[in-house]
Amino acid sequence: MTRTYLQIAAIGTMVTALAAGLLVPADAVQGDVGRLMYVHVPGAWLAYLSFLVTLTASVAFLFTRKLRWDRIAVSSAEIGVYFTGLTIALGMIWAKPIWGVWWTWDARLILTAVMFFVYLGYLALRKTMTDPIVRAKRSAVFGILAAVQIPIVHFSVEWWRSLHQPATIIRPDASPQIDPPLFAALMMGVAAFTVAYVALMAVRIELARVDEAIDAAHNSNAVVAGDAVGRPNLKVEIHD
Amino acid sequence: MKRYLRFVIPAGLLVVILAGLLFALSDNLVFFHTPEEVLDGAIDDPNQRFRLGGQVEAGSIATTAEGVTFFVGDGKQLVQVFHTGAPQELFQEGIGVVVEGVWDGTAFHSDTMLVKHDEQYRTEDGVYETPDGAVTSS
Repeated sequence: MTRTYLQIAAIGTMVTALAAGLLVPADAVQGDVGRLMYVHVPGAWLAYLSFLVTLTASVAFLFTRKLRWDRIAVSSAEIGVYFTGLTIALGMIWAKPIWGVWWTWDARLILTAVMFFVYLGYLALRKTMTDPIVRAKRSAVFGILAAVQIPIVHFSVEWWRSLHQPATIIRPDASPQIDPPLFAALMMGVAAFTVAYVALMAVRIELARVDEAIDAAHNSNAVVAGDAVGRPNLKVEIHD
Repeated sequence: MKRYLRFVIPAGLLVVILAGLLFALSDNLVFFHTPEEVLDGAIDDPNQRFRLGGQVEAGSIATTAEGVTFFVGDGKQLVQVFHTGAPQELFQEGIGVVVEGVWDGTAFHSDTMLVKHDEQYRTEDGVYETPDGAVTSS
């Protein structure tokens, strides 16, 4: 039930933010193309948020050894990979008309692509392990180490001269370089993406829980109700 | 305690290696050179292709047979650029550009141009703040 409400809230805020993004005045230099900011920036924000949640859940798992934290970590990493990919795709669409190229070997662009592949590696690593505790432990270590790159990705535009412009909002001098109506639309986008993240997490964590229950059922040899009528035998025997 | 050391030692090593790599690669992570660096002799090989970036100087744009010429500045120095080909759509006075080509000792000859817009988002009727802090109405 909660999940349904979250999904309705996500769609509602998304539609509102989209309307705001299309209705506020255009950027003076970029014109309507600049409106891509209202989806590109929230996408990047969600990528950071997702991987920070993975970091937090990984630390929590190592301290508590509760698999619940592992489910949160993997769910968030998966959503983060999706939004990192979305940010790169939207960035490319934005770069072509403004910069003049789809892609270039700029520090921010390279580091974002690295972040995408590192967390894709996190998800791939998990597939190589079957024992839930071992998998949770190793991926927690990965989830913590991988988070080192988040500040590097964000501040790369401040540390090295890049084609990608420096940060507009979260910047060292803490003075946002954006006019109020544009800022409002951007914040609505960020809020909408955040609600969508919570809604996606609710579904993905439930999926992880069901997954775990199925695994546990397959791995146990206990007699379960309905065994007499033929429980599917999924135990795999390996012969050398 | 030993359990934590198994994690802390590799993690520490990784951070040191990463910091070292980023520090060592710092020069290569820079996307373009500034006019000041070029005039100071950062690139002395006339055949070496590199990127030059800066603001398009007001009043310096003129069309040539091959394309366009203009000066780029970084607030300290100005360098003349001879660009072959059509400039980017957003190319105009005061905007940031990154051009790719060679330096012959007196001027830069480019064949690739990228427009670098700044981090400011302003409405048409808003006040446009230039990067050096001077406020002008647009």
